[in-house]
Amino acid sequence: MSVAEVISVAEDLRPVLIAKGITKSFPGVLALDNVDFNVRAGEVTALLGENGAGKSTLIKMMAGFYAPDRGEITVDGVVLSPDPSSAHRVGVATIHQDAHLVPAMSAAENIMLGRWPTRYGWLNKRLQKERAARALARVAPHLNPSTPAGRLSSADQQLVEIARAISEDSKVLIMDEPTTSLSPPEIDRLFNVVEDLKSKGMSIVFVSHWLEEVFRIADRVTVLRDGRLIGTRPISELDHDKVIRMMVGREVRDTILTKRPVGDVVLKVSKLTRENVLENISFEVRAGEIVGMSGLVGAGRSELAAAIFGIDPYDSGSVEIGGIAVSPNDPKAAIEAGVGLVPEDRRQQALVGLMSVKSNITLSLLDRISSFGFLSMAKEQAIADREIRALAVKTPSSKTRVSTLSGGNQQKVVLARWLARKPKLLILDEPTKGIDVGAKSEISELILRLAEGGMAILLISSELPEILTLTDRVLVMRSGRISASLPKEQATAETIMSFATTG
Amino acid sequence: MADRVPQSSGLSALRGRISFIDLVQSLGLMAIILLGGLIMTAMSPVFATVRNIENVLQSATIIAVVAIGQTFVILVAGIDLSVASVLVLSSVLAVGLVQFQGLSPEIAIILALCAGLGIGLVNGLAVTKLRIPPLIATLATMTIGRGMAYIYSGGTNIAPVPRIFIDLQASRFLGVPGVIVLTLVLAALAQIVLSRTQFGRSVYATGGNPLAARLAGIKTERVIIAAFMISGLMSAIAGLLITARFEAGAATAAQGLELAVIAAVVIGGVSLFGGEGNIGSMLLGVLLLGLVQNAVNLLNVPPNWDSVVSGLVIAAAAALDVYRRSYLEAGMRKKIIAKAARSTPKTS
Repeated sequence: MSVAEVISVAEDLRPVLIAKGITKSFPGVLALDNVDFNVRAGEVTALLGENGAGKSTLIKMMAGFYAPDRGEITVDGVVLSPDPSSAHRVGVATIHQDAHLVPAMSAAENIMLGRWPTRYGWLNKRLQKERAARALARVAPHLNPSTPAGRLSSADQQLVEIARAISEDSKVLIMDEPTTSLSPPEIDRLFNVVEDLKSKGMSIVFVSHWLEEVFRIADRVTVLRDGRLIGTRPISELDHDKVIRMMVGREVRDTILTKRPVGDVVLKVSKLTRENVLENISFEVRAGEIVGMSGLVGAGRSELAAAIFGIDPYDSGSVEIGGIAVSPNDPKAAIEAGVGLVPEDRRQQALVGLMSVKSNITLSLLDRISSFGFLSMAKEQAIADREIRALAVKTPSSKTRVSTLSGGNQQKVVLARWLARKPKLLILDEPTKGIDVGAKSEISELILRLAEGGMAILLISSELPEILTLTDRVLVMRSGRISASLPKEQATAETIMSFATTG
Repeated sequence: MADRVPQSSGLSALRGRISFIDLVQSLGLMAIILLGGLIMTAMSPVFATVRNIENVLQSATIIAVVAIGQTFVILVAGIDLSVASVLVLSSVLAVGLVQFQGLSPEIAIILALCAGLGIGLVNGLAVTKLRIPPLIATLATMTIGRGMAYIYSGGTNIAPVPRIFIDLQASRFLGVPGVIVLTLVLAALAQIVLSRTQFGRSVYATGGNPLAARLAGIKTERVIIAAFMISGLMSAIAGLLITARFEAGAATAAQGLELAVIAAVVIGGVSLFGGEGNIGSMLLGVLLLGLVQNAVNLLNVPPNWDSVVSGLVIAAAAALDVYRRSYLEAGMRKKIIAKAARSTPKTS
């Protein structure tokens, strides 16, 4: 290697963004504790950690949303002040989990959002289109700049956001779980864009719960745990297990499958149809059985769960729980018949954020803890304490507001609510979505234990490994129909994906 | 996760203090009230007399009773603008049904209360079944209700009132005016319902997250309808109180009362977004507003200025409350950092 080459490599790897000694706390929580983090030019730095490790806080700080209590962030020597517009000025752009676009505006207008070119004070549409098209051409040549953002797929919306970052000449691009709602080909396309940006010297911060993706794309890995920096290492020095050990500070045990005896039919769905959503769906789930429900996002899985649970009405067909028909559009009836639902979006659909952990656990049990309409505080406390212990919910107290818990512990609260009712059928919709590795394996083990105890389980999941390791049988959905029912022996990632996309 | 235990236990004591904020919220309002009281005592010789204090409390009872009902509605993330109209309708019915229709006072009162419940039911059905936003639905019933009161009364106050109202106003219980005792009893009942019953818990859940509440098996539409009916009933009861106080079926009274009630409820810490608040501190909000009104009267503020002064106090109380909360949180944050710095050795 010549001297010139050494210098150029060294220069390439100079840190662009340096966060030094960052400390940040929120009421009751020390979110970041003296964390050092830097991002180098032309590199993808993966930022990893369990939920609640402090990733989001650090990202929000780099995006200018929060001010650090101590420490400072500099970009090319310029101190970042706590203000999103300052972040844009110094060259930090953030792509959030869900796109932040104005749906009614065109892709071009969104790319130039707030920086619309003007001439004599009037918007210059031509120049706007030109600049937007230039940026768009680099990341998504297939997109028409004048399409309203609201009509784009979430993958394309993300590309528009990246194009916005390019048009701003951003130096650092932060991607917060960008692949959550993308299909595999869309992920490939995104990663090609990332490689391209990297080769042109942009620095990328990549946050993901998917280690496979991290190993595909990252050059360096920084791990946080409990708000503290665990370390930063080149990806070449790491493997799967090492990363997980850094993240959780212990070994994660793979769940082991045991054969369970299967009992009577608990859930019987016959010819369930809802126009344009569900088409002639029939299947059964037996006691002690874990039935997986696979399919692409939008295939109708959550809609099926909503129909069974009585959230949404349906046009024809029937749902029987333990041989008794439950009426449509009445969640209470489904609950009384013995169904529990852990919905996909726990914050929107399951938890009352203002309420305590205790009240959230007993929310579906109010009838059981009260007599003549009056709540028994002692009974409520006893049930909450028992469930918190049983599921090892990590909470300072049963009176803590549920919104302050980490994602995994919030999910345990939702599970606790249903387990306390001892349902015959538990429907789990993406139960480990957005949950850290440690809590994920705890929840997997819990699902197996429940099935061993004779509960019927319908597990909706987009994570094939979860479906493959946990379930006895896999139903694959595609455009509102069940396209395949695969016994365990036939269920492989390949067969499931092929029925999900073409069956 | 053994390595997490020391940290979380270190923080648990501090996290426990978050509920402390709620306590300080009430204490803060109480401090403002006491401070205001001290200033008024210094500025006006009349203020600190039993007579004046009793007067402040008595006039606060009407807003307080309406506010109790309004609290239920705001807790389910609604709003009820029809309360003042229900109040006057109940007042003219309670007097008019005796005078014009010759019913017995007891029946008249029961019918007046039913009118309140009925308008509450209409509000609730409009909001849940017709999905009309509460602001609009109750704006409609507010206009209709006031109109009906005018039509029924002929647009004037109806007097004299039946004896039972005179007795109510004159009644004393252990030396305390009966209307104050009645208000406190209603408040206590409401607090018990909210904190100790299945329905009360459902109110908080429905306001906090209606979808989650429904998915947990709560009939959220019924809860919302019930909240509006409680508001209607409470407003009708307040209508009886105002009848007793003015000794008339008061068709023209309580103009703009709905806004004063909403202001009091919000100052009292009930979140307009729903799901948060309690009757106790809500009553402090009512009391604060009552004191301001009293101060305006005692200090001879020119009549056209009194609503400006009231508005400024509302704004100041709200701003102070926001400031105090963020100050408390900041203080707690510093303590947490200091504690963490002392107890956790650096790991990397």
